[in-house]
Amino acid sequence: MSDQPRAGAHREELDTPLLVDVTTITIDPAYLQAAARRTGDRGPRRSSRVLFVAVLVTLGVLMSTAYRETRVTAPAAKRAQSALVDEARRRTRRTDDLQRAEAALREAAATARAQRLRTTAAGRDLAERLAGLELAVGSVAVRGPGVEVELRDAPEDERGEDLAGEGTVRDRDIQEVVNALWAAGAEAIAVNGQRLSSLTAIREAGEAVLVDYRPVTPPYRIHAVGDPDRIEPEFTDSSTAAAFRTLAELYGIGFDVRRRESLSLPAAGPRLRYAEVAR
Amino acid sequence: MIPAVALAIGVALGLLVQPSVPIALQPYLPIAVVAALDAVFGGVRAMLDGIFDDRVFVVSFVSNAVVAAVMVFVGDQLGVGGQLSTAVIVVLGIRIFQNLAAIRRHLFRA
Repeated sequence: MSDQPRAGAHREELDTPLLVDVTTITIDPAYLQAAARRTGDRGPRRSSRVLFVAVLVTLGVLMSTAYRETRVTAPAAKRAQSALVDEARRRTRRTDDLQRAEAALREAAATARAQRLRTTAAGRDLAERLAGLELAVGSVAVRGPGVEVELRDAPEDERGEDLAGEGTVRDRDIQEVVNALWAAGAEAIAVNGQRLSSLTAIREAGEAVLVDYRPVTPPYRIHAVGDPDRIEPEFTDSSTAAAFRTLAELYGIGFDVRRRESLSLPAAGPRLRYAEVAR
Repeated sequence: MIPAVALAIGVALGLLVQPSVPIALQPYLPIAVVAALDAVFGGVRAMLDGIFDDRVFVVSFVSNAVVAAVMVFVGDQLGVGGQLSTAVIVVLGIRIFQNLAAIRRHLFRA
């Protein structure tokens, strides 16, 4: 018992450094004081005995609860997360399937409609107008010559201390390229195979860029159908292209513009449910 | 004997009733357990030294748990987050080790 402080030791505590204090005065001095105060052997008081038992029961509950929390809850959180990831993947696949099915059905409907309309002169006029409108709103697949603009994130090793994400292509970058392409005379545009219609939004959710609510990943290939002899020079001369050339130089973002002899863009789904023609 | 039974009842209660801990209180639970363990080992050691006292044990248990919880809370409010709880764990951990060493010396004379 040589290492135990005497009852009066707490007065010396003030002089000892904290860590020495922590490592040497390990027994609660209160026990020593209580022992010193105790006159004779009068045994434990009843009230504190009850409290003692209550505290031990509390301790048991605490320990088992803490055990359960860490053992049961933490893996549950992980399970929930991976379940959500799986769910998201499954839903994405399902959306893909539904989109394909929808495209096929639309095709069939268009074919049936065309056959019916061919039978009368008025119908043929109507079919012609319809074809023009469909082309304009992007609800039919199109093909034709045009340009391809490719945007890539800067390579990991060239980014260095890229804290602000300057080497990453953002939704705004794609929006600007798309706007510049429209301005340069593009007639139809698709981003990574997602056709842009009058209802399409290009936005960001978290780190992912969404086009028409579908996630797209780099490299971003923006296909624009139109007269290559007009689009290509006009886009290349635009302030947007100049800005991207600067970005490419400064941050290593990939930026390429290519002429393409033949591009084919898929249809964008019409999604009007509430809007009607006002007369 | 009585302490062991009380502890067992507590553990059984916790496992059977499965009290749900509010999210806000979850960071305090492990700290409270460590603080409580410190009080327990201090008590066991005092018992072996022959100077155990119910009242001191109860007070040290409650104050340990409260002080530890308050330190974690203050750490959260000050934005130092887990660092104050690390401090609590380190100090209590050292004490638990020391007490265990004393208990070991008592029991095995080594």
